[in-house]
Amino acid sequence: MSKDILVVDNLNMHYETLEGKVMAVNNVTFSVKEGESFGLVGESGCGKSSVASTLLQLQSDNAVISSGSIKLDEKELVGMTESELRKVRWNDISIVFQGAMNAWNPVIKIGEQIREAIREHYPSNSKKENTEKISELFKIVGLEDSIMDRYPHELSGGMKQRAVIALALSCDPKIVIADEPTTALDVVIQDQILKEIKKVQELLGLSLIYISHDIAVIAEMTDNMAVMYAGSIVEKGPTASIFSNPRHAYTRLLLESTPSVVGEKKKLRALDGEPPSLINGLDACAFSPRCPDPSDDCKNGNLEMKLIEIEDGHWADQCCVNCG
Amino acid sequence: MVEYIIRRTLQMIVVFFIFLVSSYLLFNAIPGNAFSNLLLNPNLPPDAYQKVLETYGLDKPLGERVQLYVVNFFKGDFGYSYKYFPKTPIELIAERLPRTLMLFSVVNIVAFYTGFFIGKILAWRRGSKSETWITITSVFSYTVFYPWFALMMLWFFGYKMGWFPIGKFLYPEKWYDAPFDSDVIFSMMIKFTLVVSLLQFFAYTATRGIEALSSRRNIRFASLIAIFIGSYFYWNTGEALARKPYAADIAYHMILPVMVVTIVAFAGTALLTRTTMMEVLKEDYILTARAKGISQKRIRDRHAARTALLPVVTSFIFTIVTIIDGSVLTEQIFSWPGMGQLLLQAVLEEDIPVAMAAFSFVGVFALIAHLIADISYSYLDPRIRVKSQG
Repeated sequence: MSKDILVVDNLNMHYETLEGKVMAVNNVTFSVKEGESFGLVGESGCGKSSVASTLLQLQSDNAVISSGSIKLDEKELVGMTESELRKVRWNDISIVFQGAMNAWNPVIKIGEQIREAIREHYPSNSKKENTEKISELFKIVGLEDSIMDRYPHELSGGMKQRAVIALALSCDPKIVIADEPTTALDVVIQDQILKEIKKVQELLGLSLIYISHDIAVIAEMTDNMAVMYAGSIVEKGPTASIFSNPRHAYTRLLLESTPSVVGEKKKLRALDGEPPSLINGLDACAFSPRCPDPSDDCKNGNLEMKLIEIEDGHWADQCCVNCG
Repeated sequence: MVEYIIRRTLQMIVVFFIFLVSSYLLFNAIPGNAFSNLLLNPNLPPDAYQKVLETYGLDKPLGERVQLYVVNFFKGDFGYSYKYFPKTPIELIAERLPRTLMLFSVVNIVAFYTGFFIGKILAWRRGSKSETWITITSVFSYTVFYPWFALMMLWFFGYKMGWFPIGKFLYPEKWYDAPFDSDVIFSMMIKFTLVVSLLQFFAYTATRGIEALSSRRNIRFASLIAIFIGSYFYWNTGEALARKPYAADIAYHMILPVMVVTIVAFAGTALLTRTTMMEVLKEDYILTARAKGISQKRIRDRHAARTALLPVVTSFIFTIVTIIDGSVLTEQIFSWPGMGQLLLQAVLEEDIPVAMAAFSFVGVFALIAHLIADISYSYLDPRIRVKSQG
């Protein structure tokens, strides 16, 4: 068994707003092993990206981590100073952001923007070494060397996203977070990029956190996964196990809302209602108002949200396990 | 690029032609016979009057006069000043221009750099107490009634405190036995400023390729020191040494006007930089830069401020255009005998050839400034770089 590279333990984060505290991340606990690919899935606003930005300590100024810890390779990230964090960022943990379109500074050449990151973490490298490194990365993601001298607006969306992946790999990070890397791309390019990420991950033995709202992509990409709802993880475990045997009502609905290409034609199910407001937090089960067929415990709010182990490594929120 | 510049130059010639004709027509609309002023000039022999009249067709109908003026203009013949008769407008401008250029190029450089720097800091420290106060101060100095403000400063620093001279650009008693003209010193100072800024620019561009940030910084610092030592030697050897006291006199007279105009002019740049940069700071690539672990200072300067530069430069170029016509007020208040005063006097005294020449000069200047603005955009923003057509 390889060791855990990232351990997130009981992480709580909220945003201070004028209307109150928005509890964006509640008691999130998960770990990622070396070389593992971990998926985080959930609908818009469920806190996936908040988790991602908290992992790099890049959350906005009004975000407060109230408790919990993030251990990256035995190093505690919560409470690090800015200069300590700067050394960790990109060198140990890097991120592929949503929307590669805007991830590049429009007035600086692609090569220079990648070189800038390497220069920050390996200041003694010569220009030639850095160029060779970038060229090597470009080869992995399938880009020509000449892209280095291009400006971002001269590249297509897919090329930009490939370059972003090269950028994320430039300082040999231990773990890469991919935060909806295919959002702004068309399906054909999406597929290419996903294959690219998978190839790179296997080639370099990277640990990867893949964040997406598309459960089909998660199925294709990850070994283990977690389903998030209203800032909390409601189910987590091996991807195969969750797909074959979803236990939480929300996961089941999520799976039934995605059409399958093979097999019999089933009617897709939609979920009524809206996600709950996270202002000032929630008591009891967050999902019960939308639960199509809640069990008595769930309806009456008898059970607090707590993950229980259902089978080996497969956890689900106790509240909705028995719902319809 | 070359093709683009040629095309733009042709456009500029057409625009300038229209400008020239309409200015002439406007001056022609001034009531009274401006040319009769010439008759009152005691320096002018009567036959010369007749000759000027014939050469420039001043007794012909308007249409022919315009035609003749434009033809003469493009031949480089601007006529003679009605007021300072034997002198031509070109001579007058050549005497006044260096004074204005010196004063206002210093003002503009100082105002732009202070404005850009302060705006950058304001955007970066958004929400802090210092930001609030500096923003309020900037809005005040942006909106203050300039002539009143300039007079107050002149009264306070020049009269009350007595730190700076009130008006004029030199102490005449110092120059009484000077072996040369003030213009010599002015053009020398302009050349010096130009060479120093070019050297610094080259030092900056040449070091861009150095990979290690620390050695890049060191080399830049060393080049700055070298330039400083070089200028020290320049002013302390040979010809320049003899001219130094005179140059110092002019520089001393420049301090107050530069300060006053800078206080008024920096605010526009600062507020614009602040707004643009606050927009830029919300962009995703700033987040990417932070995630890359780049230092805060570098994110501020290289990523945010650099991208916010474009609109700021646009507005700055338009300010440069007003160097000459905007100087009318400043030069009047500080009794600085430059282009602005020349223009004002020429218009008031109906010295039409001088006024026309000065106006056309402003026009040419504005057109060239716009061309430079367009070319500099393409360096600042690769997205609008001009592609050669074909």
